[in-house]
Amino acid sequence: MGTLDYIWLGILAVFQGPELFSMFGLPISVTIAMVLAGFLTGIMVGATPGLAGPVAMAIALPILISVFGYTPDALLPVMGFLIGVMKGATIGGAVPAILFNTPGTPDAFMTTLDGHPLARAGKAGKALRIAHFSSASGDTFSDIVLIICAPFLAILVERYLDLPEKTALLILSLSFIAAVVGGSPAKGLISTGLGLLAVYVGTGEDFYPRLSMGSTQLAQGFPIATAVLGVLIIGAVLKELDDLWRKKREVGTVAASADQGDQRLHGADIRRLFPYIARSALIGTAIGALPGIGSTLAATLGYTVGRARYQKRKAPQDPAFGEGAPEGIASTEAANSSVSGANLIPVLSLGIPGNAAAVFLILAADSIGGFNPGPSVFRFTADTVNPELVVAFGLFTTMMLANALNWTIGGLFMRSMGVMIRIPKHILLPSVLLLTLAAIYVQETRMEAIWFALVFGVLGYVMRALAISPLPFVIAFILGGNLEATARQAFAATGGDPWFLFTNPLAAVFMAASVAVIVFTARNRKAAA
Amino acid sequence: MSGSTRSNFILGLVLVAFSAVLLFVWIPLDTDTGYIEKVRRQVTVGDAAAPSIAALFLLTGGLLLIFVERARADQPAFGRRHLVFVLSFVGWTVLSLLVMRYAGPALVAVLGMDMEYRLLRDTLPWKYVGFLIGGTMLISGGISMVEGRVRPQRVLLSLVITTVMMLIYDVPFEDLLLPPNGDV
Repeated sequence: MGTLDYIWLGILAVFQGPELFSMFGLPISVTIAMVLAGFLTGIMVGATPGLAGPVAMAIALPILISVFGYTPDALLPVMGFLIGVMKGATIGGAVPAILFNTPGTPDAFMTTLDGHPLARAGKAGKALRIAHFSSASGDTFSDIVLIICAPFLAILVERYLDLPEKTALLILSLSFIAAVVGGSPAKGLISTGLGLLAVYVGTGEDFYPRLSMGSTQLAQGFPIATAVLGVLIIGAVLKELDDLWRKKREVGTVAASADQGDQRLHGADIRRLFPYIARSALIGTAIGALPGIGSTLAATLGYTVGRARYQKRKAPQDPAFGEGAPEGIASTEAANSSVSGANLIPVLSLGIPGNAAAVFLILAADSIGGFNPGPSVFRFTADTVNPELVVAFGLFTTMMLANALNWTIGGLFMRSMGVMIRIPKHILLPSVLLLTLAAIYVQETRMEAIWFALVFGVLGYVMRALAISPLPFVIAFILGGNLEATARQAFAATGGDPWFLFTNPLAAVFMAASVAVIVFTARNRKAAA
Repeated sequence: MSGSTRSNFILGLVLVAFSAVLLFVWIPLDTDTGYIEKVRRQVTVGDAAAPSIAALFLLTGGLLLIFVERARADQPAFGRRHLVFVLSFVGWTVLSLLVMRYAGPALVAVLGMDMEYRLLRDTLPWKYVGFLIGGTMLISGGISMVEGRVRPQRVLLSLVITTVMMLIYDVPFEDLLLPPNGDV
């Protein structure tokens, strides 16, 4: 089996998988249908303020697993749906940002700055087309980088990193995420520590389940869905409800401006926007490849770089950035959309999730089985077929398929989603809470899981109220078991050397980098304070 | 956000105290193996090691808050308002979930049915009773809290939303169990 054979098998797994129906004599596989369903769902939730891709993923996952079962055949349809949601939500977030000055997702905030002034000037259609074109361009570029880089990085990791280095690399990833997510390395470390502590309750190798305080409920540990959905989704719902509660929600009608004049995107527009899109796509991809750094930072950086270029070149009559410059929308949307593909580089090559969407891909893989995202996936075995590698290339195919959908029907569907702003948040949020609790219950079928999720939800709320990002918690919870298992193996493999993280040169470099990234970021914050 | 709060310093102190309890009380008393364990002449990592790493993360974070980030200008104010919200909304959620858990069995007992709820939980209307009542309570409570009053049409809307959810999860999938039918 050569590389091209694996790529071809991956493509076939998507297009020739179980058939759902046929159209004009052509069989449509269930994976294709799920990518389409996920993509459209993603645009809808992205366009709904208060919802985001992770919410849709959390609610859909138990239903999808129930439909497709726990067989390897379920991997591509389920993960294809999640990838569709991830991509759809990215472009959907721009819709309310442009039409109503309300970002559908946090990373679309910068889009409001120029998108909404353009909409108020009667150019809403054009602004949406610019956002869609820039977003689809950035996303496609990012996916190409992912497809090229992830296998090479994974092969390098497998070839050069032994158990001590892998342990040190996991510690470095956790330190890096703690340092860069949320703007406070101290709070990042706290979030990471809490995530690690939670995953170690009730687990271990001894007969006695550690840290369980003699409780039979804690002895089984916390199910991953309760911790992840509790902190990530329920915590966010509680925080949003609290904000609404304080404002006593101003229930008013949201007025949209009427379009005037030419709304199309011409070749000349594209040529003018292209340098901004290209720069932002590079920035977003580079940022996305580092675990934990979100699309919001990418959008901010892309916007800042775009503004610097624009100020030098704009004609006197052109609007400035922040006053309805199309280049502002292009810079922001290309940057935040190009994060999503690159964010999967650490997942697929290292097994380290870098964002919430990646967390749900890992959850899906973990629930279904037969695919363990990480460097071992990219073993190009010559004599036998490596099914995980086929799934990986299948995933790349679903990403390109979602991009094709984005370029063809994405813009049209996106422009019809302005109506989603009218769903009142204060009705939506309690409904999402119940839906999430029900999703957890159908996976775990015990009330304890709901109680655990609620407790984690309160923790997520308190963390948000104290400006502690919940993402390091979730990533630490997911990586904690792997970190301990790798450390145990490394300890055994080095003959019980307690200093195995420091006696191996590369591991020592990773450990030094783990400390350095915290010290460096903390010093920067102190200087900025 | 408020520049006048000392939430970083207070959180730092709490975290340092918690990690000390974790390192010196909880982990030693609640794990059966230490940091390193000898099993059949082989030295392995004990169960106390990984939680101690978690405690060190917390301790480092707490110390950084006290000594490096205590004077940051963008410290959030966490106080009574947050507690009131958590106690009222989460309290209502807990109450709704308790109703969800016990409404079906209670109704069976009140109506003096021949069979216990466990035997009826897969039949109509019993399998929906708890989820419908508890779910409607949860959603309508959340809406009413934000609106500051209880409106019958919102309760009706909550009932409709809960019914739709129930249908999404239960009707197409025979193997999915709505709460609380997996427990009782």
